[in-house]
Amino acid sequence: MLENFAKSISDSSLTQWIQTEYWLWPVLEIVHFFGLTLLIGGLIIIDLRMLGFFRNINLQSTHKLIPFVMMGFSLNLATGVLFFYGDPMRYAINIGFQLKMILIIIAGLNAACYHISINNLAQKAGANDSSLLLPRLIASISLSSWFGVLLLGRLIPYVGTG
Amino acid sequence: MFVWIENTALALWVSTSLWAYPFLLSLHILGLAVVAGIFLLRDLHLIGLIGALPPSNFFDLRGLAYAGFTLNAISGFLLFSSQASILVGNISFLLKISFLSIAMALAVFIHKQIDKGGNITQPKISAFISLTCWFGTITAGRLIAYVF
Repeated sequence: MLENFAKSISDSSLTQWIQTEYWLWPVLEIVHFFGLTLLIGGLIIIDLRMLGFFRNINLQSTHKLIPFVMMGFSLNLATGVLFFYGDPMRYAINIGFQLKMILIIIAGLNAACYHISINNLAQKAGANDSSLLLPRLIASISLSSWFGVLLLGRLIPYVGTG
Repeated sequence: MFVWIENTALALWVSTSLWAYPFLLSLHILGLAVVAGIFLLRDLHLIGLIGALPPSNFFDLRGLAYAGFTLNAISGFLLFSSQASILVGNISFLLKISFLSIAMALAVFIHKQIDKGGNITQPKISAFISLTCWFGTITAGRLIAYVF
């Protein structure tokens, strides 16, 4: 499926443009790295607090970081799509890339669970209660899947085809 | 001296082992997310873009950020050792180290200011410089591979 899609776009004008502009790739990489610091930096604070660390920090106020996490994610989604368009056949068959995408989907579903359940739970149980199992579970899945995304992304140039 | 570093057993392991280099790069990006992530958000907060989280919260987080820095100092030194003599002449690498040094010195300064409490104007200026330096560190670091 991914491979067919990659084939279908491999002659697109966007792909050709990305490949011709030699300065574009490093610029995209810099933005992608900046985005990941916002995304994962923010999530480290939010998730570790949900796990019960840094109890001096008010749990509700860590939510103020969510717009920055979303901004980091948007930057990386945009630059990531351009990476894929820039070299579709290389990414489509790369096992590191494929696993990274699966982990991003898991992380996304986990974030959806958070929105559906945690807000209600936290209000019921009090703002600073992190003894509940569900918030801890969600925070653990979030941290481990994003760290996996980070490592797999970094390893894309070093791993083989899927 | 840099040629000598390259020929130490550790540096040779980094440059010849199949997995050492990617493994160290993975640690390096992990540390980056921790140290740059926390300090970037601290700076954005001190400049006034986040609000709500009091500066003291970032004071609490500094230990974790320093742990990320330590991880990157070690993994970074090992990565450096495998190509020491080339990297000392790489302008991008030198810029990265300069930006990073300023950012880390400012981190110590900013945390002292936060710890003292009171006047928030001074950390605001430092935070702006620090933010610029972290952006510079990431940009220059990424460009090492492209600048010769």
